[in-house]
Amino acid sequence: MKIAISYPPIVNKRGQTAMVSQNRNVQYFKYPTYLLPVIYAQAATWLKNLGFEVRWDDGNSQRKTYKQWFDQLVAWQPDIVVLESTTPVMNFYWQTTNDLKRALPKTIFIMTGYHSVRRPNETLDKSAVDIVLKSNHVDFVLAKLIPYIAKHNNWRRTCTVEGLTIRVDKKRVRDTGAFRQVEPLDNSPLVGRDLVGWKNYAYENGNFLQTPGTYATSVIRDCMFGKCTFCRYNGPDLTFSKMSVEKSLDEYQMLIEKYGVKEIFDDSGVWYRGADARRFAQGIIDRGLHKKGCYFGFNTRFEYLDEETIKLLAEANFRFVLIGLEAASNETLRRLNKGYQNDYIVPCLTWMKKYGLHPHMTVMVGYYWETQEMLDETVRFVKELMSSGLTRSIQVTLCTPLDYTPYHIECITKKVLLAKSYDDFDMSKLIVKTPIPHEKYYEAIREMYGFGFSPQFIFRQVLFLLTFRKRDWQFLFIYGWRAIRRLTNHYYDLTIHSRKGAKPMGIIQRIAVFWVEKMASHFETRPQISS
Amino acid sequence: MPKTQPQKAKVAQIRFLTESTYILKLERNGFQFIPGQCINVGLPGLGVNREYSTYSGIKDPYLEFLIKRIDGGLVSTKLSLLDPGDEVTLDGAYGLFTIKKPSDKKCRYLFIASGTGIAPFHSFLRSYPKLNCKILHGIRFVREQYEKDHYPKEVYTSCVSGERGGDFRGRVTGYLKKHSVTKDTTCYVCGNSSMINDVYDILRNQGLSASNILTETFF
Repeated sequence: MKIAISYPPIVNKRGQTAMVSQNRNVQYFKYPTYLLPVIYAQAATWLKNLGFEVRWDDGNSQRKTYKQWFDQLVAWQPDIVVLESTTPVMNFYWQTTNDLKRALPKTIFIMTGYHSVRRPNETLDKSAVDIVLKSNHVDFVLAKLIPYIAKHNNWRRTCTVEGLTIRVDKKRVRDTGAFRQVEPLDNSPLVGRDLVGWKNYAYENGNFLQTPGTYATSVIRDCMFGKCTFCRYNGPDLTFSKMSVEKSLDEYQMLIEKYGVKEIFDDSGVWYRGADARRFAQGIIDRGLHKKGCYFGFNTRFEYLDEETIKLLAEANFRFVLIGLEAASNETLRRLNKGYQNDYIVPCLTWMKKYGLHPHMTVMVGYYWETQEMLDETVRFVKELMSSGLTRSIQVTLCTPLDYTPYHIECITKKVLLAKSYDDFDMSKLIVKTPIPHEKYYEAIREMYGFGFSPQFIFRQVLFLLTFRKRDWQFLFIYGWRAIRRLTNHYYDLTIHSRKGAKPMGIIQRIAVFWVEKMASHFETRPQISS
Repeated sequence: MPKTQPQKAKVAQIRFLTESTYILKLERNGFQFIPGQCINVGLPGLGVNREYSTYSGIKDPYLEFLIKRIDGGLVSTKLSLLDPGDEVTLDGAYGLFTIKKPSDKKCRYLFIASGTGIAPFHSFLRSYPKLNCKILHGIRFVREQYEKDHYPKEVYTSCVSGERGGDFRGRVTGYLKKHSVTKDTTCYVCGNSSMINDVYDILRNQGLSASNILTETFF
């Protein structure tokens, strides 16, 4: 049986590419970042291990045009195609599935992703999809479902694997009930690096200071906290599953020693904390992996790591730490169910700075309740963090309700949603009613990104050179311009709808942006494109 | 749920039930929650907090949490050393591991816990004493039958794996294999993920719908 796990290339009218993979908000980027969808990669590996013929079919990372991707997939004649989608590209995926079904009438199409998880019948109504997976444990479900389909011709009527909505015939669909919330992650295989063409994801990723970089098999499935209202990892059916520390350590060792990886990022919603985090860091040190010239990174929360743990992580050569700041106002943190107060932010960042980690803040603006005062508080706080060196880089996005998360449902209930089509949810503009004009939020984004060009911020980065840590020198001279290129990219992508009436960039900013773009286009390392 | 909850609370009492497990009792000050939800409890200045399920009932004038002091666990250790009058931070309450219709007498519940995973079920019973339910509590030692006398005898069954004593010798999985669960039962499972996985398989094999099994992972 031939199974394709497929990501069609999506390019908009402006030539920007949409990034769809695993709990990421779809955004269109001028310069794409290729992110490995880890759970799907585990699923592909597992199916291959079970003896199926598997095609890892990521048209984005493989740099295919839509036509190339479509024609090659049709020519391969798969028995099953697995797709992943999310709100802003649902229309595109429905159309694509319908086109594929015409070309491949006998093929079974399986839709996954958080939007269809919460609205399975909608996808069955609007497209030729045969099965919707309601579970995020795509690897576990496919490992049970595909062998069942292979052995049972009447699977549409008889399959009892949990968490599916199945098209039985033209008129009927069948639901197999809630999915299994907790899975033993140690039973799912580590990502088969060769199968997924790992090098396609090893360079074009702004989070890597050194390349080749890669994403580890995630140690936490979903999120240990899982209560933030805007996040897909929040729902009545979601909890978290955890992989063992030893298994993850084995993978890191393999990635460094066999593949020569120079930076490893674990994209778990939230990585290990407390005793597990310390055990992992100590394991890295005990195996001597901290001296192999490879940096490690992860997502966390401000209140999850204490000073002792952060110190140990730094000794183990951890570097990049991605943390959702979301907002500075306690009112917004409360409304988002963030689970901490802003008192927790500065101590955590102070320890990270002290031990040489590079925290990267993700900030959001444009909540439907966000007043000018709240917005100013966030902008002021972010600038303080940047000028004091407490954060090394930032990413600012528009808070966009998606995938029927609690925030999305809240926006619908309160009638503040302005979007008329799913296509409007692409994060390029605000789609909720707000107490102040939308332009104010776009201005705030420009102000925060613009601060990256300020003398205070640049001076702070130069001061870091006095630590004589290799990573700080790399940050300024290698990663710096690459990060700024992405910054200008974000700046372009997120403010494209607000150019009218916008304050023009200053001459220094324009020169900096021009210089950075030029340098980046000349010196960016580009790997070979795999077919 | 009010938009503004008190975000700090004073410790009223620390009550040890075993050498490592204690009840953290806090002044409530109107803090609202739904039984089964968790609250982030932290120490000002320490920079870290952790989620703990509520142990007390919705009508209790105080907030209680059942906490096991973990070896090397910073928050659980520091909280155990607090004195009455000390302050902790509170965030929440969060979560959907709750009883949807507690007044519906037709619903039959089985609550399965390991260790301190019994906390939300204690909160259920204190809040909804007429709930048609049974509790299955997996522990290693008899002394871990935390406040057993708070539950009606016909409701609470301890499964003790590490020594003689208790209501059943062995794990909750062993008990479930010997005592089948009827298909119309709604099961709530709370505790460590290994126990949750094993229990899930048993319940599914006994014919329970996946929609009737709700889980909350503690670790």
